[in-house]
Amino acid sequence: MSTNRWLATGNYFTSYEDEQRIFFTHLDRTILILFLFLLFAWPMLFSLSNKYMLVLDNILIAMVAIIGLNIVTGFAGLISIGHAAFMGIGAYTLASFSRTLGDSHVVITHAWPLMIVLSGLMGAVFGAIVGLPAMRLKHLYLAIATLSFQMIFSWTINFLEFFNQGQTIAISRVYWFTGKLGRNEHYLFWYYVLLVVVVLSGFMVRNLLRTRYGRCLSAVRDNDRAADAMGMHPGLTKVYAFGLAGFFAGVAGALHAYVYRGVGFESFTLHHSITLLAMAIVGGLGTLNGSFWGPTAIIALELQVETLAEHAGQILPSDWNLATALKPFSFGLVIVLFLMFEPRGIANWWRIVRSYTKLWPFRY
Amino acid sequence: MENRKRMSVTLLLSLIVLVAFTFQAQAETYKMGLSLAITGPTSDAGDPYSKGVEDYFNYVNDMKLLGDDKIECTIRDDQYKTDVTKRNFEDFLDMGIVFYLNYSTGSTLALKKDFDEVKMPTIPASFHAGNLDGSSYIFLPIASYSAQAIGLAEYIANNHKGSGTPKVAMFLHPSAFGRGPLEDVEKAVAAGLKIEIVEVVEHGKDLDNTAMLQRLESKGVQYVISQTIQSPVATMLKDANRLGLVAKTFGESGKITFTGCHYTGGNDLVSLAGPAAENFYWTTSYIVTSEPGPGTDFQLALAKKYGRDEKTANSHNYINGAMVAQVASECIIRAKAKGKKVTKESLYEELLAMNGSNALDLDTTVGPVTYSETDKAGVDTLQLYAVKNGEFKSVGKPFIPEYTGKIK
Repeated sequence: MSTNRWLATGNYFTSYEDEQRIFFTHLDRTILILFLFLLFAWPMLFSLSNKYMLVLDNILIAMVAIIGLNIVTGFAGLISIGHAAFMGIGAYTLASFSRTLGDSHVVITHAWPLMIVLSGLMGAVFGAIVGLPAMRLKHLYLAIATLSFQMIFSWTINFLEFFNQGQTIAISRVYWFTGKLGRNEHYLFWYYVLLVVVVLSGFMVRNLLRTRYGRCLSAVRDNDRAADAMGMHPGLTKVYAFGLAGFFAGVAGALHAYVYRGVGFESFTLHHSITLLAMAIVGGLGTLNGSFWGPTAIIALELQVETLAEHAGQILPSDWNLATALKPFSFGLVIVLFLMFEPRGIANWWRIVRSYTKLWPFRY
Repeated sequence: MENRKRMSVTLLLSLIVLVAFTFQAQAETYKMGLSLAITGPTSDAGDPYSKGVEDYFNYVNDMKLLGDDKIECTIRDDQYKTDVTKRNFEDFLDMGIVFYLNYSTGSTLALKKDFDEVKMPTIPASFHAGNLDGSSYIFLPIASYSAQAIGLAEYIANNHKGSGTPKVAMFLHPSAFGRGPLEDVEKAVAAGLKIEIVEVVEHGKDLDNTAMLQRLESKGVQYVISQTIQSPVATMLKDANRLGLVAKTFGESGKITFTGCHYTGGNDLVSLAGPAAENFYWTTSYIVTSEPGPGTDFQLALAKKYGRDEKTANSHNYINGAMVAQVASECIIRAKAKGKKVTKESLYEELLAMNGSNALDLDTTVGPVTYSETDKAGVDTLQLYAVKNGEFKSVGKPFIPEYTGKIK
């Protein structure tokens, strides 16, 4: 162990436990605490418009979902193209209560933390079921199996009267200690809830990766036969990876339903699954911090391009329709560029920055 | 003396400057927002629609229809995604809009509670009757899809030439937009409308409808009522034409007469289906550019003024957008004429008062725009058109479906 616990100038691990520490230096811990404090405190210092609060909420929801997707695709190496459908399972669990009991029932408006957990559990159950083919399928074949789940989900929601045939099912505003949330505090309230969920999920996964269950995921990803020979159960590991991914997706889906005050099929399509996968790739597959970078980068890019398109629309003749093509074009371009030049995603840039500051001022 | 003269000139100049600034300060800008699919699904309708809205508001500003006041309408592409529509709407609220124009059925239903909560008068491009359920602030520009489908069903019942009850199939888009009218047509049948619905088809993305058409033929279907967008209808018509199933006259025995609601028809259908579009019957509340008249002249002149291509200029969705902008502008004109401050509340009041002698007569629609506390559909009148020699031509006089009132 380094003598200076604030600025380590190298790796001084003397035991396995030492290497598995959450924070390598006191500086890491202090910076994170300060950063979290800032994230919680800034809304008290200045207010953001509803549009941008909704954007922030959206980023945080995507983070929860990507944490799940990273477990199954990043850490366990199992491609999932149906992640939006798992989110949909969570959202429609909540919607089922709304359809059965009414959108303003006390279960939905008061017991919302319970509903969020329940939605997550339902996502986990479906995740585990969809994960069963993973015991026998790999790579492209597994991708097709998850794609089929997305298709089955689409069909079920679109055709069953109980799910309002995909039309929006309303979810009422929730209650807090101060009473029913008003329109003005809605997005801010959910910002705090989402922030707590993201922080808890982050620590949960960080801790999971330190346990043998977490290490199983990487072992199975790298070589499942070798993992089997080492006494692990690759099949069970894959199923539980899907289950865990489904749990996070389900939680994200329920949060989405509460933030948007409704559940509609249009928010959980194949296109959304692809977008989630793109977020995971851009952020950095198989890294925890990549789950935070990806959604932030993609959603921020979307907003920037939207603004650019609006300005371009004022300059270019509208008959050219060039401005409207900017959004899909830039989205595709970013994915291709990342795959070509930075397949490890933004998380790799973070790693480089960290290794630069690690030995500062004596960098290597 | 010299000083007094200088002082008088200074005072006069100050007065002029003060008056000039006072008048300048009085000129106001009214903000509006439109969120719609300019790209993505249904953008073939959304694109000309947005151009219609944009051009009409530019026309209002350029022609000084509001005096020195101006309308500033921010148009955003939501790619038919409800989440993006919600974000756009929140942004528009932050901008301080006084009127909102929405687009899709899905997003209108999803944001219905928001419109009521913030008391925002809203006109969507969706004519889904369900938009109005439990909402006070949504106003449909023309008769609902349900009214259109019932209107077509009534026309079938009244003009069926064979014996017995006409057998009808419904060809629907697999969404709330498509399914909306089915229940109301069934209610109309239960209320005494003499048609028999023998099959309801929710189309997919089929490139061939041969099997479906042969099934309909074997069931003795004589009429198809379509509530969807143009491309699936064009596919169906081409296949029906190839199979020799298309009726050459309305209700021709042994053949199928194809009909459709607003978004199934228009020039885009003729471009997509070609000669197979011949004898397709279509209903809408708009005047089409193949029918000469002041409405057509206005539409073509507006498109020409703002440099639109021929396709856009002749699109019924272009005038659909322009008409919605016309209604919003008229509300401002009326509020100003009454000396009211232009706010979302006063524009809402003006919309509700748009009836009786205050109904809005437009050249571009087949009937007046009327709204009240109980009537939230603008133009109640419909016109039937049929494709003859590659152009939509009027069939009969404008009408108001009888059964829409009966099933309320």
